[in-house]
Amino acid sequence: MSDDVRDDLKYTESHEWLKVEGNKAKVGITDHAQSELTDIVFVEFPEVGKTVKKGEELCVVESVKSVSEIYAPVSGKIVDINKKLEDEPETINSSPYDDGWLVEIEIENRSEIDDLLNADSYKKMI
Amino acid sequence: MHLLNVFVEIFYYKNHIPASIIMALKSPLHDLHKELGARFTEFAGFEMPIQYTSIKDEHLTVRKSVGIFDVSHMSNIWITGEEAEELISLTTVEDASKIADGKSQYTAILREDGTVIDDTIFMHLGEKYMMIPNAGMAETATKWLNDKAIEHNICATVENVSRDYVIIAVQGPKSRDTLQKLTKTDLKTVDFFGCRYIKIAGVDCIISHTGYTGELGFELQITPTSVAEKAFRKILEAGEEFKIKPIGLGARDTLRLEKCFILAGNEFENGRTPLEATMSWVINWDHNFIGKEALLKQKEKGDYERLTCLKCIEKGIPRHGCEIQKDGKKVGKVTSGTLSPCLNIGIAMGYVKPEFRGKDTILEIIVRDKPVKAKIVKPPFVPKDWAQQN
Repeated sequence: MSDDVRDDLKYTESHEWLKVEGNKAKVGITDHAQSELTDIVFVEFPEVGKTVKKGEELCVVESVKSVSEIYAPVSGKIVDINKKLEDEPETINSSPYDDGWLVEIEIENRSEIDDLLNADSYKKMI
Repeated sequence: MHLLNVFVEIFYYKNHIPASIIMALKSPLHDLHKELGARFTEFAGFEMPIQYTSIKDEHLTVRKSVGIFDVSHMSNIWITGEEAEELISLTTVEDASKIADGKSQYTAILREDGTVIDDTIFMHLGEKYMMIPNAGMAETATKWLNDKAIEHNICATVENVSRDYVIIAVQGPKSRDTLQKLTKTDLKTVDFFGCRYIKIAGVDCIISHTGYTGELGFELQITPTSVAEKAFRKILEAGEEFKIKPIGLGARDTLRLEKCFILAGNEFENGRTPLEATMSWVINWDHNFIGKEALLKQKEKGDYERLTCLKCIEKGIPRHGCEIQKDGKKVGKVTSGTLSPCLNIGIAMGYVKPEFRGKDTILEIIVRDKPVKAKIVKPPFVPKDWAQQN
């Protein structure tokens, strides 16, 4: 089992990560989460331009025999999705923090970032 | 995402009782599975390995080479007595007098109204019959058969011995080569659906040339349970040259679904007859059995829903409970669905109204409110020679 946790990311208790870049942030699932799921075979994306509230369903990630909802770590507008995952969803398994990112959100309220877990707290949780 | 929800969708089982309510039973091989790196799930009251490496990896291992499964959650009952054969003929759709000593048969136990209580295999072993009902069905099946023996004055005894047996399945094109190293019996003489007493790795067991994967395979009934670990380890050793792997219930489910085999809890949910479940090929009409009258009536009427195989032609993975539609109108419901690890596309079985079941018909399966187009195909989804061609 792999449990890589990166110091430069923020985390949720439900195993999403957030990488803040200016007023935008990329979202994905953690190494721990992908290793629990194994074999990710399908990602259902939201539409670009859609607005989501923190904690709302963002996308759906499926393994052969499981369906997992991914929740928005912060509120905002979806400005990009990782199209590569439509044909190669297994990228989430091989590169959960880099090539396997899911969506990019334009952050609506920066104070929500402070509520997220830092690497140490997430490490303790898993 | 909620990691706790992972895998909760895997099996729907009518007798399913959450582990939080009762302590799940464990296989006698539980510690060995832990040692082999298994993750566990609760299924029909048993805590069993769901996967060791990954479902996809385990699935392809069985299709291409060989895998070993612990399926001790399945039930074992002995049917003995002078009229054991009569009792089986009355309570199943098979005429047991047609099943020779040393042969096993796939069949179904029906209620009077024709609905299936359980699908099962029975083995004819000399004077006795061993029946293998599904997980969690041991008590129900034992009681049903005993009650019917009394009701119909049949001299037979039915005994639930499920906890006395470990059941090991060895499945895949290299299964025979693996097991052959561990026994003096020429396994080529155990024909398809044949069964007999045998010694494997020095352990006494009943072997049958049966399985739930659609591949060449064998199942071993081992008692006492204390000797089963030795057999399991020896088989793993013998299969090393073929890269044998232990296989969990996750891959067991995807393997059977690619071959359109029925999973009792899913496909018989809410009461289904063998005609609806497209099992008429196992019905022997030339004898009297419980449920026959109801089936004859249903057959005559002919307007019943039938289990149908649907192969998606666009992305999306159908799951248990998804609605099946034609032009926006409900025509059926999915009972089992998954991504096919071999075909890498969604596959499903579900009950569909007869007028919408034409071959090559395109229907829509509704996955999270979105229609996914799927084509009606003849079973199986994955042909017998798939591994040779891929």
